[in-house]
Amino acid sequence: MNGYGGKILRVNLTDGTVTKEPTPPDVARDFIGGRGFGIYFLLKEVPRGADPLGPENKLIISSGPISGMLIPGGGKCDWTTKAPLTGGYASASMGGHFTAEMRYAGLDSIILEGLSPKPVYLFIDNDKVELRDASDLWGKNTFAVEKQFKERLGEEFQVAVIGPGGENLVPYACINHDYGRQAGRGGVGAVMGSKKVKAIVVHGTKSIPVADKDSYRKAGMAIYKACKDAEGLKDWTRYGTTIVVSWCDEVGALPTRNFSAGSFEDGKNLYGPVMREKIVITDKACFGCPCPCGKYSRNKKYNNYVEGPEYETIGLMGSNLGIDDIEAVAQANLLCDDLGVDTISTGNAIGWAMECYEKGIFTKKDTDGLDLKFGNVEATFAVIEKIARREGLGALLAEGVKHASQKIGKGSEKFAIHVKGMEQSAYATHNATAMLLAYMTCDVGAHHNRSWAITYDLQVGRDKVVPEKVARVIWLQNFRPMFDVLGGCRLQWVELGIDRDLYVPALEAITGIHRSWEDLDKVGERIWNMTRLFWARENEGFGRAWDMPSPRFYEEAPKSGATKGQITKLEDVNKLLDMYYEQRGWTLDGLPTPETIESLGLKAVVA
Amino acid sequence: MPAKLRFGASLRILLGGKDELTVEPGRSVRATLASLDIKPELVAMVSVNGEMQTKDYVIQEGDTVRLMAVVGGG
Repeated sequence: MNGYGGKILRVNLTDGTVTKEPTPPDVARDFIGGRGFGIYFLLKEVPRGADPLGPENKLIISSGPISGMLIPGGGKCDWTTKAPLTGGYASASMGGHFTAEMRYAGLDSIILEGLSPKPVYLFIDNDKVELRDASDLWGKNTFAVEKQFKERLGEEFQVAVIGPGGENLVPYACINHDYGRQAGRGGVGAVMGSKKVKAIVVHGTKSIPVADKDSYRKAGMAIYKACKDAEGLKDWTRYGTTIVVSWCDEVGALPTRNFSAGSFEDGKNLYGPVMREKIVITDKACFGCPCPCGKYSRNKKYNNYVEGPEYETIGLMGSNLGIDDIEAVAQANLLCDDLGVDTISTGNAIGWAMECYEKGIFTKKDTDGLDLKFGNVEATFAVIEKIARREGLGALLAEGVKHASQKIGKGSEKFAIHVKGMEQSAYATHNATAMLLAYMTCDVGAHHNRSWAITYDLQVGRDKVVPEKVARVIWLQNFRPMFDVLGGCRLQWVELGIDRDLYVPALEAITGIHRSWEDLDKVGERIWNMTRLFWARENEGFGRAWDMPSPRFYEEAPKSGATKGQITKLEDVNKLLDMYYEQRGWTLDGLPTPETIESLGLKAVVA
Repeated sequence: MPAKLRFGASLRILLGGKDELTVEPGRSVRATLASLDIKPELVAMVSVNGEMQTKDYVIQEGDTVRLMAVVGGG
């Protein structure tokens, strides 16, 4: 089958068997790959009510047709599962080189199922696939394990590994790869930990068949040239995502002290040029990318090296904790990566705990003696370690802010910043209604990567609640995640601004199937509705209430910064949802109507 | 000698296709944008002759000022 490795690898951890089955052509046609494959297999194979950390849940790792190909950005891999953090759908995208090796080993997806009785790692070298004992690796941090594999097996092997966070089933544990890339959100690392899979190592040398070699080369070169010619290439290469720190601070989107404001009075110390000057030593790219947005840093203060920090980590581990020291943020980044916990959820959990402490809800008795004020760097480092190991205060925070705040009460639920149980990524949304809606309706919880609309808010008017904004959010939700379906990165389109139509001939040359963006957007819409149906299937009473944001954004206006005194009214929050559901073809309680299900050809999915 | 404002692709989309403008030096980037009826807050990054600057940078003769919006957000 053109454009595919052709095989799905199924690994049953319970009985230790590994089998390969052909990638179904109709699934490849209808769902293309990546997160499309993920939601297809999740709905089909994981039974209703499965415990996210039990044997019935599956971890589905999928490449897409442009992964590992001569298409800039083809280094993305999707990790789909039922989320231990939220009880709903999780799909985490990981950059680096793992997906390319997977493809060269002939694999479109790897499905981990069952539970292993002892620690193992999955070894893949072309057709040789084995579950091997990992007892000697269990308990070790991610960097040490990755290094050990590279030394033992060779640099050509790509490694995805969990740390103590995943082993201890922290519901926002991540999976680490390439010493600094992650499948970060939703707790995919905890699912791998529940299955006692410490790591997956993969190497392959096979070719991927393409439908039209000449057109493929031409299409790939056209995208490459467009990237190289892009006006923003130099700056994105120099600063990566840290470009946006200063701007977010300026417009009130930089999360500050647990999202109580959107501008940080000491934010300047975290801006991109400061970081570049102080700690960055080189740039790092994913597979085949001409825009190395990853920054590799030498942290003299803490005597180590780390990839990053990038914007999300600066926002959540820096300003959100009242920390203005970029070296301290880089150190927090390193600790999270090495211990295997998501920096976004961890930064939120610590921010929430700091606010509890400052409000007197926590005393030193609750914080293991730590003076957990905003800005306390050493306490932050200590809490990260405690979370990954579920020790003391860390055991509570490891549950995520939704559950931790429900347990503590005393009004702390109002400043637990999450949607559907997933902590909000690093954009404050006190007065950015399209972005707020994007968070409210995102299919994994409060995450930005499906739809990001702050610039659109500024362009249209940030407090405007109009159908155009809703339409924009929906268009982005259908379209942006298509890059996670294709197995590629969206940065080339979203930030370098290359024409998305350039991907159409590339995809056709690879797979032999012509798909316009209209066709692809339709696939995106089907997938979006499938993820919604999964949420509804797995959670009794699922509906509108699940889409509500933190009250912080409609009850408490920031007392300082660019959004001082500004807030989104609760009636506008509801109006946004009304318009969104209507435009999506959903009921007023946020569920796809029978007509919508029928029109998208999803009847079999809900049967 | 005038200076040049160059717009990155994402900003170009927001501004309806404008690619490059010639401007007079002596005013800040912020004031220059406002005079052109471009909301300064839409511009996320200012790069002058290859170095990142703030919108308060006063444009000098012969400068090439690259301006970018953010449409993706990481």
